[in-house]
Amino acid sequence: MKGKRLLYLLIGLGAVAALAFLPGGVKEDFAVAGEFNLEPVVKLPKIGPFDLSVNKAVIYLWLATAIIVVVAIVVSRSLKVKPGRFQYAVEALYELARDGIVGSVMKSGKATWFPYVGAVFFFVLVNNLIGLLPLPFGEHHQPSFYAATANLFVTATLALFTFVFTHYAGIKKNGALRYFKNWAPASAPPVLKQIIFVIHAVSEFFRLISLSVRLFANMLAGHAILGVFFAMALIFQSYLAAVLLQGGSVLIYLFEIFVAVIQAFIFAILSAVYIGGALDQDH
Amino acid sequence: MNPAAYRELGAGLAMGLGAIGPGIGLGILIGKALEAIARQPEVSGDVRTNMFIGIGVTEAVALYAFVVALILIFVAK
Repeated sequence: MKGKRLLYLLIGLGAVAALAFLPGGVKEDFAVAGEFNLEPVVKLPKIGPFDLSVNKAVIYLWLATAIIVVVAIVVSRSLKVKPGRFQYAVEALYELARDGIVGSVMKSGKATWFPYVGAVFFFVLVNNLIGLLPLPFGEHHQPSFYAATANLFVTATLALFTFVFTHYAGIKKNGALRYFKNWAPASAPPVLKQIIFVIHAVSEFFRLISLSVRLFANMLAGHAILGVFFAMALIFQSYLAAVLLQGGSVLIYLFEIFVAVIQAFIFAILSAVYIGGALDQDH
Repeated sequence: MNPAAYRELGAGLAMGLGAIGPGIGLGILIGKALEAIARQPEVSGDVRTNMFIGIGVTEAVALYAFVVALILIFVAK
């Protein structure tokens, strides 16, 4: 029995080694950066400075929205006391958004702000995850990987929502004067207070940048690395390299699933932290 | 060297040097979080949530370097 297993192992290794002597395929022009080009799919006229053309990112955003809406409707129409697998998975994600994200970092206004934070969590999560499916929106309708969240304009818009809602929540609860006064500690001397106020104001804008760039760069880096790994086999032009590197790209792919979930979680939890911080100011 | 070579060298240096700090930071952060969980397993949920917030903030620094590298390669002329 043991000898047989060794034999199979040797045959397998021999087959892999034999691949090294096979001539590789034709080298094709492949640039990873090309996957992120946004050519308009449906051309529409410009209205003022806004180009309304439908491109790849827009299709992915629509797709994510459609998936969320359909799943939400299907699950909420067929709720059972004893949940099936699908309902249990959606409920677990809902519970993560409610208790793990909003419940654990916000003190007051949980019920008011859960809809926003939960919606952002699911939107970013589904957008990140469908970015890992090959969909036929590449060049010449070839299957390609793209995520709408690997686009700075999408993530900046999401971050802008959080930015606006943070200050809206803070001003609505504390009153405009008290909200801005609380940006600097009351016990500090007047000169220092002004400096702290300015530093805090700058940091509010940097939150906007860091929130959007974090998600954008994570998804872009992930997809670029995936693209490089897939293209390696073309670059080396050898079946051995293809076999070995496909193993690597499977590992990177698994890691990207983890990153997609973690980034959605971080985006939502930081939104909740910022809004919670504006609601319950600590000085 | 021609300017394009300097640009690509700069992009590589930006990414490599920019990853040092966040790498050390993430090591300390996650190590301390695990230490805290090992000491007090009953608060592991809270510690883990805060650890992820910290990871997000620390990791953003490396990603700024990544964005700078991308700008150097694709945008700067």
